[in-house]
Amino acid sequence: MGSGRREIEVMANLLSSNDIQAEVNRAHFRKNNCLAINVIGSPGAGKTTLLEKSLPLLKDELHVGVIEGDIFTSKDADRISVHQIPVIQINTGGGCHLDSKMVSKVLPQYDWKALNLMIIENVGNLVCPADFDLGEAFKVIVLSIVEGDDKPSKYPVIFRNAKAVVLNKMDLEKLTDVNMETMKQDIRAINPGIAIFEVSCRNGSGLKEWTSWLTQEVKAYQRIN
Amino acid sequence: MHEMSLMGGVFEVIEQTLTQHEVKRVLIVKLKVGELTNAEPDALEMAFEAYSKDTKCEGAELIVERVPVYGRCRNCQYEFSVKTMLFLCPNCRNTDIEVIQGEELLLESLEVE
Repeated sequence: MGSGRREIEVMANLLSSNDIQAEVNRAHFRKNNCLAINVIGSPGAGKTTLLEKSLPLLKDELHVGVIEGDIFTSKDADRISVHQIPVIQINTGGGCHLDSKMVSKVLPQYDWKALNLMIIENVGNLVCPADFDLGEAFKVIVLSIVEGDDKPSKYPVIFRNAKAVVLNKMDLEKLTDVNMETMKQDIRAINPGIAIFEVSCRNGSGLKEWTSWLTQEVKAYQRIN
Repeated sequence: MHEMSLMGGVFEVIEQTLTQHEVKRVLIVKLKVGELTNAEPDALEMAFEAYSKDTKCEGAELIVERVPVYGRCRNCQYEFSVKTMLFLCPNCRNTDIEVIQGEELLLESLEVE
C-alpha cells in the first residue's frame, strides 16, 4: 500500500465550497422573502450610477438593501447611502470578484424583516464574477454601449448566465460607431430569453422600463416563495 | 485573475484526498475545464505553481483538458456542438438550448507515488 505510481480518481467540483455557501445564502434570501440580484459589468459601465438612478424609482414600492463590492474604497457605498437605504461595503482587497463567503459574512448586519430586494453590486469585471454564484436569484449585466457591440460575443459566459442586461449610456449612441442591432442580435444568439433594457442614466431614458420590470420580478418571486 | 481562487478550490480537494491516501508526492494533476467558463489555462498554470510550493504537489505537472460546449435542443432533443457561442438548434432552428457539456470546473484525478 502507498507505494508505486498510481492514479486516484477524484472528480470534484472546484467551486464546490463556493457553491455550497451560495445555496446557504439563497436559502437565507428565500426565508426572508427577499429577491437578491447580482449586478455585473465592466469598470465604468455605470453599475453604481444605475443603482443611484433606480433607487428613487424603486423606493415607492420596494424596500431595498445594497451590498457594494469593490477592490478598495467605500466610494460606491457612500454614493448609495445618500439614498437612506441600508448599504454595506465589501472590499475584496485585490480580489477580482465577490464570492459567496464574503456575502454571507455581511448578511447578519441587515434587518431582513424590512427588505424585499437585495442588490449586490459585484466588482467591476465582466469575466471572473461569472463563475461565482453568490446565492442570488439571478444576474443582471450592465454594459455601456460605448464599450462596443463586440463585447457580448467576447464575453459569452456572463451573457449566457444573466436574466437581464441593461445597455447603458444610450445618450452617446450618435457619438459612437456602435451598431445596436449587432449588439442585441449577439446577445440574443447567446441567450434568447434575456431581457434587454436600453437606458441612459444620464438623461433618464429607459429607467422606468427597467425598474418596472425589476419590481415585477420581486412580486413574482414573492408569489412563488 | 480568479484562477487563484479556483486553484484554492483545487488544493482544498487535493488536501482532502491526500488525507485518505498514503502519498509521497503528486506527479500529475488533471483538470477538466469547460469552454463555457472563464478559467484560462495559462493563468491556472501560474496559480498552480504558486499554490504547490512546499507541498506534495511541488514540481507536479498540471494537465488542463478543455471541454467543448455541447447543447441539447429543448424542442427536438437534438444534441450538437455549440460553435462560436451560437445557441441555435441546427435541426429545428429553436433557440431554447440546454447546455449539457462545457461548464465543467473539475479536478478529475491525481497521479501519485
